[in-house]
Amino acid sequence: MDDRQRFREVVLPHLDDALSLARWLTGNVPDAEDVVQDACLRAYRAIATTKDINPRAWLLAIVRNAAFTWLAKNRPKTAVTTNDEALFERASLEMVDPQASPETILIGKIDAEQLHTAIAALPLPYRETLLLREIEELSYQEISKILSIPIGTVMSRLARARNLLIQRLAMAGKGKAGAA
Amino acid sequence: MNKPSAWSSREESLLLLNAYLDNELDAASVLEIERRLAADPALKLEHDRLVQLRGVFASQLKTQKASNDFRRRIEAMAEPKFPPVIRRISLPTRARGFAWREMAAAAALAAIIAAGGTYTFLRPNSQSNEIAAIVADHQRALLAATPFDVASSDRHTVKPWFDSKLALSPQVIDLSSAGFPLAGGRVEVIDGKPVPVLVYQRRAHIISVVAIPRAGQKDTTEPSLATTNDGYFVIQWRGRDFDYTVVSDLAENELDEFVNLWRHAARVN
Repeated sequence: MDDRQRFREVVLPHLDDALSLARWLTGNVPDAEDVVQDACLRAYRAIATTKDINPRAWLLAIVRNAAFTWLAKNRPKTAVTTNDEALFERASLEMVDPQASPETILIGKIDAEQLHTAIAALPLPYRETLLLREIEELSYQEISKILSIPIGTVMSRLARARNLLIQRLAMAGKGKAGAA
Repeated sequence: MNKPSAWSSREESLLLLNAYLDNELDAASVLEIERRLAADPALKLEHDRLVQLRGVFASQLKTQKASNDFRRRIEAMAEPKFPPVIRRISLPTRARGFAWREMAAAAALAAIIAAGGTYTFLRPNSQSNEIAAIVADHQRALLAATPFDVASSDRHTVKPWFDSKLALSPQVIDLSSAGFPLAGGRVEVIDGKPVPVLVYQRRAHIISVVAIPRAGQKDTTEPSLATTNDGYFVIQWRGRDFDYTVVSDLAENELDEFVNLWRHAARVN
């Protein structure tokens, strides 16, 4: 099978997934398209040498790296340093108000915009881990490989990301209920 | 999933709860977390929130669909005209191997044609007129102040220039590493239609590559056909979307080499 054929079979079926990830990492579709186009170029060049048996995870890893290159170039202020990350990992995992009942949380009434705002506000390491799980539906092992972090870190990032989201959405939900 | 050594802390319960909901726990850990959920109302509450959150994800988090336009742009990467930037690195050695073989084939073919005394062209009718016109244009270009309208050794300048002038462009191949630098491009009128001409240089010699559009034509590996006209060497072949005619006063073997390199590069592009 030649490279073009491989590219068509390995990359093209996962274009929506690639774009979704890039869209979440950059924040908008035009920038995401830039990133994915760059990622596809990289994928095309690397396709002859890759031995990866999981094309989707392989492509998403390239998209993720392309997104970071893009962010570093175009939005240097959002670039995450390793120090920031270490700080995040140390942050403790808090229970949401243990007394609150699920009904008062109201996150079931959250609309897409509120959810998007809350996800966008997550620190990048949490956000990308969450997205790989919730949008791309990758396994812990695949996420661990893409982000080059131990599985234990995948677990803790996911737990913290969801924890933060529940807290923020709970506030948004309350605000909404109060306004209504 | 390995079971963490200590199960005591609430934080670890939360980590395991997430992994449980993500279907990432082994059977023993599943039993353990379910036991803990039954015994710990606060943990059960957290469980319910996470399930709620998952429901919100499922209903509100949509995959970004690639637009048709974008999809086509990406698909175009896998089409033959896409320049594979990386592969050129390995070109010289491979190209040489190819080129020599093809050159031998071309030489053999040329010998057969010469011996038979008959010239077969790609399209017998009007073909010799076309060659005469192309050679005349080449001669005229040599007499002009410059043999090109756009002077650039950068194919990224030449290709867009053609696109803007003619709304089409042949493959612009960079052979500078093989000693055939791109000099520029011009537009000729052949058979009443404007056609793109690439201009390459070899020492003091000018090589014109005339690209006559043949929409939808596939790239071929048919041998190139060589002839002479008015003292100029002419080599023709069919490429993707274009019929190519190369004219030069360069020595015939060097022009053969040029054509073989060019065709090879066009093919791997």
